Amino acid sequence: MIKISNKRKNKLFKSTLKFSGYFTVFLIALFLITLIYNSFLSLSTLSLPFLFGSKWEPNAGNFGAAPFVIGTLLTSLLALLISIPFSLSLSVYIGYFLKNKKRKNMLETLMDLLAGIPSVIYGFWGLMILVPIIISFQTKLGVVPYGVGILAASLILAIMIIPYSVSLGKDVINLVPSDLIEAAIALGATPYEVVKHIAIPYSFSGLFAGHVMAFGRAISETMAVTMVIGNRNFIPKSLMDPANTLASVIANEFGEASDPLYVSSLIELGLILLLITTTVNIIGKFIVKAYHVHTN
Amino acid sequence: MTEKEIILSVESLSISVKKHKIIKNLSISFYKNKVTAIMGPSGCGKTTLIRSLNRMHDLDKSFRVKGSILFEDQNLMKIDPILVRQQIGMVFQRPNPFPTMSIYDNVLAGYILNGIKLTTDEKDEIVHSCLKKVGLYSEVEDNIHRKGSHLSGGQQQRLCIARALAMNPHVLLLDEPTSALDPKATTRIEDLINELKHEVSIIMVTHNIEQASRVSDYTAFLYLGDLVEYDTTETIFTVPKDKRTEEYLSRKYG
Amino acid sequence: MSTQTREKLNQRLLINKIFYKLIEFLSFSLLIPLGLILFYIIKNGIAYLNLDFFLNMPAPVGETGGGAFNAIIGSFMIVGLAGLIAIPLGILIGIFLGEFKDHKMNNLTRIAIETLQGIPSIIYGIVAYVWFVLPFGNFSAFSASFALALMMLPMVAKATEETIVMIPYTLKEASYALGANYYTTIIKVILPSCMKGISSGVLIGISRILGETAPLLFTAFGNAFLNFNMGKPMNALPLLIYNYASSPYQEWQQIAWAASLFLIIIVLGLSIIAKNVIK
Repeated sequence: MIKISNKRKNKLFKSTLKFSGYFTVFLIALFLITLIYNSFLSLSTLSLPFLFGSKWEPNAGNFGAAPFVIGTLLTSLLALLISIPFSLSLSVYIGYFLKNKKRKNMLETLMDLLAGIPSVIYGFWGLMILVPIIISFQTKLGVVPYGVGILAASLILAIMIIPYSVSLGKDVINLVPSDLIEAAIALGATPYEVVKHIAIPYSFSGLFAGHVMAFGRAISETMAVTMVIGNRNFIPKSLMDPANTLASVIANEFGEASDPLYVSSLIELGLILLLITTTVNIIGKFIVKAYHVHTN
Repeated sequence: MTEKEIILSVESLSISVKKHKIIKNLSISFYKNKVTAIMGPSGCGKTTLIRSLNRMHDLDKSFRVKGSILFEDQNLMKIDPILVRQQIGMVFQRPNPFPTMSIYDNVLAGYILNGIKLTTDEKDEIVHSCLKKVGLYSEVEDNIHRKGSHLSGGQQQRLCIARALAMNPHVLLLDEPTSALDPKATTRIEDLINELKHEVSIIMVTHNIEQASRVSDYTAFLYLGDLVEYDTTETIFTVPKDKRTEEYLSRKYG
Repeated sequence: MSTQTREKLNQRLLINKIFYKLIEFLSFSLLIPLGLILFYIIKNGIAYLNLDFFLNMPAPVGETGGGAFNAIIGSFMIVGLAGLIAIPLGILIGIFLGEFKDHKMNNLTRIAIETLQGIPSIIYGIVAYVWFVLPFGNFSAFSASFALALMMLPMVAKATEETIVMIPYTLKEASYALGANYYTTIIKVILPSCMKGISSGVLIGISRILGETAPLLFTAFGNAFLNFNMGKPMNALPLLIYNYASSPYQEWQQIAWAASLFLIIIVLGLSIIAKNVIK
């Protein structure tokens, strides 16, 4: 054992701490460089047509990102739309109405449980339970009963992202100053009118930011989507169509891709996914900062 | 002597929170077009009393309110609280204009919240006359459709008074309306109260004895939930009948 | 006038009531999907959560009595190594972020950590693949641990930073006044006070990465056999669930339900413990 003096230990410790900072930045930089570098082949060979290309035929050497960008945006937007009535209700109900501690804890635990279930389990459950329901629904409607597809993925995503928008939403609604609420009540408002005219306008930016973050979560979600979206590499024409998202096509095909251009294209898809996610997250954080959204 | 007409009559009011009695079997009649000050040491129940007049205690389930409040052949305890609040307005201790609404909309907030539709002419008329009444019109007329976040504390409070007046209440409840304001703004509002009493009956909670003597016609002295003394302000301040009143006044006066 | 007709008032009160009932209904309706998920997992999983499941190796298609032994071992080994990497490093980064606020790298480090947090899980798999699978020519448990460690890093770092920032300065002062230096003060005085907050962050991090599948897909890849070598492909619970879930074989699906039940119990159990550690 080397005996290090206390003074040395101290210096070493401080250096280690500073080093950890440098190391982290270095790690992330390397991370991003790896992605860009490995997309390079596809970026240079295929460049812009890749982004808008609608054909994904690895065997023929055709690679286009459009089916997956559309699949990603479509499922995430639909998931967001489906989730909004529920997340707003929960935000207002928990943040404004609920005084009963028991019920409040119950709903907050409910949110935590939903957020804690691993993605692959959502996917498994979706495949086994939700998809058959959709199949019978589609049969009744007279459309091709794929079961899997945009609809299935959007429904599962909606359930998965609700806890994220509620987590911020309930806090901002709760923090509407009681002064304002009392003033509104003293003028004769019903609770509904207080929420509509006072609470929601006041907390609007926080509610919006929470939903932007939920949207970002939906975009990056992989396993649950992969298992119920149907793995079809064409631009979906309807909500009932099977499709693929940026994350799900990578999950499905990366393990077997051998051709360098194929691999590079998949990595470029990953880069596009990262870019979209980062943009959405930055927008969300910007809203929180710019509008001084009040949270605990 | 001017005739005194009763506008609001409280009978046997008892208010308790979780078994603790705040107001004990209190009865008092407030007079029309007069300013009545409610005074007393902390914890005497003055804020609880005034908030019971517009049914604000309905919001907290732990409050038990018994008794009647008679107003124009109605018992305010028995009708829908919204109807009460449309007739009895309130201004709070800290100015609380709605930050997401313009000054214009703030004045009309009562109508917006209650879903009462007005024509643009009616709206303009109400905003104009209420802001004029509180002396705010000339100060804000250029920015009337902007949000009022730049207004000073005194201006904000006058806006809140305008907002309450816009609903044409018969009674205006003021809960320590100037305690958060500087002396200059306080004086302006005290002058305003003097003018407004000709249109609306004012009941005001204050812990500032000088203010009560300046502004009010009648004073009620509360002590530990009881109405100890109630008379014209002149009488209370010159010849108080109860020892507790005297002590309170003298201790405050120094 | 400012008063309304009785009719209009009743209308407003009705709208209010409908609104309240509606949001109450929508709020509690989320119990339905949660209930359905938990119900089916428990119902289908409990029957097969038996000794066979825990102790047996996966059986070939068509044979009964298969288990998840290698996946269970694999999960714990991969997550264990990931923790070993992420916890010390995360704590160091957290201390750096919280203590060296004026250091020129502080903001950049913070941005790096926040960027890490927002990366989709599959991207970790891609980078780990490029860094550790390609050069060595085979899938490995180690590459998976690395990917998971990167995912866990921000959680530990943030928990550490948030906790250490809350420690009152007077504690440090007392330590310095007794003659201790910075190193001793942090390690012997400050960190022990942070244990609750850091542990909570660590437990939450572990519970998250235990359930992660995407980073494992082309790193650990999976293995039909028992493997203790971190340099070779390894099976893990989420991988097992993923592979068996999309298979048409009934025995495999049964095991997938049991594995899901087992995984959910651990993951949710850990997060409940994490929340209570804070108290």
